[in-house]
Amino acid sequence: MYNIFDNLILGFQVATSWENILFCLVGVTIGTLIGVLPGIGPTTGIAILIPVTFGMSATTAIITMAGVYYGAMYGGSTTSILINLPGESASVMTMLDGYQMARKGRAGPALGMAALASFIAGTFAIIMLTLVAPPLASFAVSFGPPEYFALTFMGLTLVSALGGDNPLKAYISAVLGLLVACVGIDAVSGVARFTYNNMNLLDGVGFIGMAIGLFAVSEILVNIEEPIKQVFSDAKLGIMSLFPNRQDWKDSFGALWRGSLLGFFIGTLPGSGATLCSFIAYGVEKKVSRHPEKFGTGLIEGVAAPEGANNAAAGGAMVPMLTLGIPSGGATAVMLGALMIHGLRPGPMLFSTNPEFVWGLIASMYIGNVFLVILNMPLIGIWVQLLRVPYKVLMPLILTISATGIFATDNNVFDMWVMFFFGLVGYVMQKLGFPAAPMVLAMVIGRLVEMSLRQSLTISHGDISIFFTRPISGVLTVIALVSLFSPLLRLLWNKYGKGKTAAT
Amino acid sequence: MKKSEMMTGIVLMVLSGFVIWEALEMPPSATFGPGAGFLPFWLGIVLAVLATILFVSAWRRPATEKEGEPVFPGKQALFTIVLTLTGLAGYILLIEVLGYLMDTFLFIVFLMKAVEREKWPLTLMIAAGTTAVLFFTFQILLKITLPSNMFGL
Repeated sequence: MYNIFDNLILGFQVATSWENILFCLVGVTIGTLIGVLPGIGPTTGIAILIPVTFGMSATTAIITMAGVYYGAMYGGSTTSILINLPGESASVMTMLDGYQMARKGRAGPALGMAALASFIAGTFAIIMLTLVAPPLASFAVSFGPPEYFALTFMGLTLVSALGGDNPLKAYISAVLGLLVACVGIDAVSGVARFTYNNMNLLDGVGFIGMAIGLFAVSEILVNIEEPIKQVFSDAKLGIMSLFPNRQDWKDSFGALWRGSLLGFFIGTLPGSGATLCSFIAYGVEKKVSRHPEKFGTGLIEGVAAPEGANNAAAGGAMVPMLTLGIPSGGATAVMLGALMIHGLRPGPMLFSTNPEFVWGLIASMYIGNVFLVILNMPLIGIWVQLLRVPYKVLMPLILTISATGIFATDNNVFDMWVMFFFGLVGYVMQKLGFPAAPMVLAMVIGRLVEMSLRQSLTISHGDISIFFTRPISGVLTVIALVSLFSPLLRLLWNKYGKGKTAAT
Repeated sequence: MKKSEMMTGIVLMVLSGFVIWEALEMPPSATFGPGAGFLPFWLGIVLAVLATILFVSAWRRPATEKEGEPVFPGKQALFTIVLTLTGLAGYILLIEVLGYLMDTFLFIVFLMKAVEREKWPLTLMIAAGTTAVLFFTFQILLKITLPSNMFGL
């Protein structure tokens, strides 16, 4: 069994050091906070936190950042249920039935089920991660440059094809991200590319500045333009009112395990993300239900399915990041970028070279989920009160934390200009409907894409058939090509169909 | 959306042309295998193709009513966004002149007063509080030397 127990024990030894326990708690608390507050999402939160995690060891840093990620999945449901406003995008589906339950006076069980479903599905996902990740990593150790290129290529096309409603714009975003990754000294030949004699660009565009600009600053600009409505909730929530009754559990049982499985497995695919998983889980639940027409009127399974799925997806997203070094979406891309700055090279070797890191993280997620249930059940009243903090107080805080953090990483004002630039770019992109996640993802794995591509072509003397003739890279390349051209095929299909109806 | 997408397409085409030109200027590989300009060149080509698709599909699409709405905000909102960005630029420019404490304090005052039009007492309270918390976190807890001005503040 790949010594899973030995490894888990090692992990728990790492995760239960006082420092890691403390920062796990800090991470999940910040995550819950970010989840509760509208106008700031998990990706932004993680990006802002990177500079603060610099003084920590890499393990403590990832424990904190992962805590923010899955913590936000818990917190997001609170506002969805109480005030019909999603705290972050993965909780949009929870709103449909959760808010209706609250209107019928069943806010308590809805919140309780959201937290417990998150806990059950989250823990399920970590168990799956524990079981799936090591064999996948040892399988991936044999990957050479062609496999890596095929894998990164597939990651990029899947992110673009799945994440968002306009794949063309996502592809453009990814290509731009790859171009940004090209800036700086070429690692093979030592040629300075796109640097224009600027000393600061020789090392490439600063990742932290770019991530914070694209996520935090642009989000602030969008929120300034369309101020967030402040809604309060005066629901009185005692701890006992939070527990779902026997009938609730019976109704939610199917939703829970379907949501957990769907969330985990779809969550491992690059580009899926927690939001997509919660949409799919809700849809599936509606399909298999004996009374689909009642969805949206306050069914408890309509809360359990998406909440379970988004938490399981947060665990699933760790699989490709830890075993292959390929992030599955915006949040994991930012985490991966942070790890590289910490000097770790994420990928299959991580399991053998840094077992304390990987297993410490996995073990901390078991602990973090327990923290989160405690934070979200008895203390839910406090989080509801926090909704009273107006955004106009938060806005200067987010902006100055971002700017200070960026300065603090390198003591370099230039990185602040990078943030400024990408803040503006991110705002324009958001207005024009270009998703930012493919760009950040491409930027993070850009060097890997380029190295593996050039090494492969060097091995094969410039023959691109190398990506097709090796079995693993062949399969991956074909998947990548299919997902790359899927929007085109769909477009042609639609056009052809429309042309025919117009003719008749 | 139609107009702005056509504009975006043109901007991206110009960008891709520039990238391709730059990539061709890069020295070829000294040994065998692809050189420094290889990936940028092909990225430029791909970008050009995608930008053309964006432009053509926007051009051929009839402007529907919903798409007739302007993408960018009205004058009022645009003004506050420009104001925020100007403030941020000023903050970055002045941070090594005014020192961290003073610059951050003034920046928050600017955001609360000019952008959000808050009352003075709340503005000053938030500005002082935020600056103090940030200074404490970064300078004292994380031991990062933040910029100081000529008076050492």
